[in-house]
Amino acid sequence: MAQYTLETDGQVCPFPLVEAGAAITKLDLGDELTISFDCTQATDALPRWAAENGYPVTHFDRVGDAQWTITVQKA
Amino acid sequence: MLLTGLGLGIALGFAMQRGRFCVTGAFRDLWLTGSTRWLTAFLIVIAVQSAGVFALDAAGVITLDPQPFAWLATIIGAFIFGFAIVLAGGCATGTYYRAGEGLVGSWLALIFYALFSAISKTGALSTPVAALRGITVEASTIHGVLGVSPWVLVVALVTGVGLLARHHRRRRPSLPLVSLPARTGGIRHLLFEKKWGAFTTALIIAALAILAWPLSWATGRESGLGITGPSSNIVNYLVRGDPELIDWGVYLVIGILLGSFVAAKGSGEFRVRLPDVTTTIRSIFGGVLMGVGASLAGGCTIGNGMVDTATFGLQGWVSLVFMIIGTGAATRLFITGSARIAASPIRVPADR
Repeated sequence: MAQYTLETDGQVCPFPLVEAGAAITKLDLGDELTISFDCTQATDALPRWAAENGYPVTHFDRVGDAQWTITVQKA
Repeated sequence: MLLTGLGLGIALGFAMQRGRFCVTGAFRDLWLTGSTRWLTAFLIVIAVQSAGVFALDAAGVITLDPQPFAWLATIIGAFIFGFAIVLAGGCATGTYYRAGEGLVGSWLALIFYALFSAISKTGALSTPVAALRGITVEASTIHGVLGVSPWVLVVALVTGVGLLARHHRRRRPSLPLVSLPARTGGIRHLLFEKKWGAFTTALIIAALAILAWPLSWATGRESGLGITGPSSNIVNYLVRGDPELIDWGVYLVIGILLGSFVAAKGSGEFRVRLPDVTTTIRSIFGGVLMGVGASLAGGCTIGNGMVDTATFGLQGWVSLVFMIIGTGAATRLFITGSARIAASPIRVPADR
């Protein structure tokens, strides 16, 4: 089980979502992907994307003003 | 009385920021993920507002006065506008509220959108725009063409959208939705932290959209919510100094900016964010095309897509279809077909 990070700060929606979708295909089952993002709309889009694809969210929090991090597990 | 525009704008900007209400996202999702959740929210606003508007019309509070349908300009303008909002990263209201969140890319899009609205409506491009908008057919509303009462359409739309909303509410994702951890309680949590549902936000925006009609009417501006006209008025006022140009709509759009700023600041979501070079260029060109497109079409995603549709205007519905097609074209060109989606996740060393 490996940990991966994906940096999307500075990218406007829907790029964090599109990139997360592309990135997770490169992971093995059980691997975790931590996505940093600063597009407000992705606070709605990313958890929903994870839930709809059956990826458990192991961590989701604010990092600073208009900055967030979410970690999903490929399942 | 003009101040009611400011108040309504503040409420609208606040609701849009907290609810993450993005019309561009609603159209784009259709092409990107096939999701109709946000489009359903958008249709809820139209359906609820249509009931309100025809009730106000029946009560004599407002008088709807349909104009001949400028079909060619609407089709061309709506396609350009739909294409442009993907480049700009937000439609008219989306750009206003993201500007309030501190996104410099949206500041640029907003400036060029307002500037090119003024250029197209009253400036250098006004002659060709007016000529294209002069190509009209007599028909102006769907109920007029069909020869039925608008209430038939209100009932059909409310029923259809109600079924669509029910379908979405019944469809649960396989895993529960995760929310951000709560840090505050009470009213502060409710206003600045709690996640607003898409459909709840839509109902709030619909109520504000209905309220906009009588409030705007009382000041002599005989229409509902609108973004492009007021944006153009601001530019004209700044360069000509004519105070007559400051109408209810100008207060409304300034209110949206203030309301979204308050919402973003209060929830720790305001930060001045600089775009990269590609995003900067896209924001500027997006803003330019938004101004030209909205002026040709006679409205933006709000004026045409959300308000004229609620009065069952042909301009609104034809516009809605072509904006969605334009959004699809730009999504194919700049998002799904983009070379930018080459990002690889970086593996974190195991010893960390």
